Amino acid sequence: MSESQLESPDFVERLRRGDRAAFALLVKHYHPRLLSTARSLLQPADAEEAVQDGWIAAHGALARFEGRSTLLTWLTRIVINQARMQLRRHGREIQFDPTEDTGDALAHRFRGNGHWRTPPLTWELHGPDALLTRNELKRCMDKHLGAMPENQRLVLELRDIQGLDFDAICNILEISPSNVRVLLHRARTRLFQLVDHFQETGEC
Amino acid sequence: MLKCKEVVQRADALVDGTPLSLGERLALRTHLMICRHCRRYVRQLDALTEHLRHQAPDAPLGDDQVDAILARLPRRPS
Repeated sequence: MSESQLESPDFVERLRRGDRAAFALLVKHYHPRLLSTARSLLQPADAEEAVQDGWIAAHGALARFEGRSTLLTWLTRIVINQARMQLRRHGREIQFDPTEDTGDALAHRFRGNGHWRTPPLTWELHGPDALLTRNELKRCMDKHLGAMPENQRLVLELRDIQGLDFDAICNILEISPSNVRVLLHRARTRLFQLVDHFQETGEC
Repeated sequence: MLKCKEVVQRADALVDGTPLSLGERLALRTHLMICRHCRRYVRQLDALTEHLRHQAPDAPLGDDQVDAILARLPRRPS
């Protein structure tokens, strides 16, 4: 079932009426994405639990779903709230405002006059050369994604991996578009820096 | 004239297809015309985001797993 079918008014109406078969379809098609979102904030087992709790919360609240956002946006928000509640139980709080300045991962590559000191190398992520190192690069990216601050990783997940639009992300995280862009820029420059380094040295 | 550092700041907007003013577009185009480093940066940033997009989970959940999730839902009175 396609995303547009899941988001159609008829389907939403079936869900609101408590149609169990419709809910099963919703779980079937959206669970993998919601799990991927939860994994940006939690360890795999905890992420499963957060999404499961999210389904229970969504099931109870569907009758009141007003369709002001897409179902996916609404569900993503619920799952992120579940994940934050789990973190809070462990005494952790995630800020989505990019207040702390971790800076730009490429900052050291510019001269004082704003021109490149160390320009980017030429590389490809597809094609024969990339195929040879695909697995190593994947492992390296996963490692760096794991080390990224949660707020950057989550924004990268929602925007670049899942392809949500900026309005939806602002709505989900309740932050301004400019804050989303700052977090995204930091996440992307980190990954760019890592790929560049990997291509030059073959090391992560 | 934009500096390379400023082009890198603005490259996200290009990759995201964010509407830019005519002035911003012109400034970027002028810089990219003469600076191969920044051209390379923009091209590879675009490839990187494209690469990430393909990491998205797209296989639907198996029926057994769906059933396991539904089994934990409270029954709604119907």
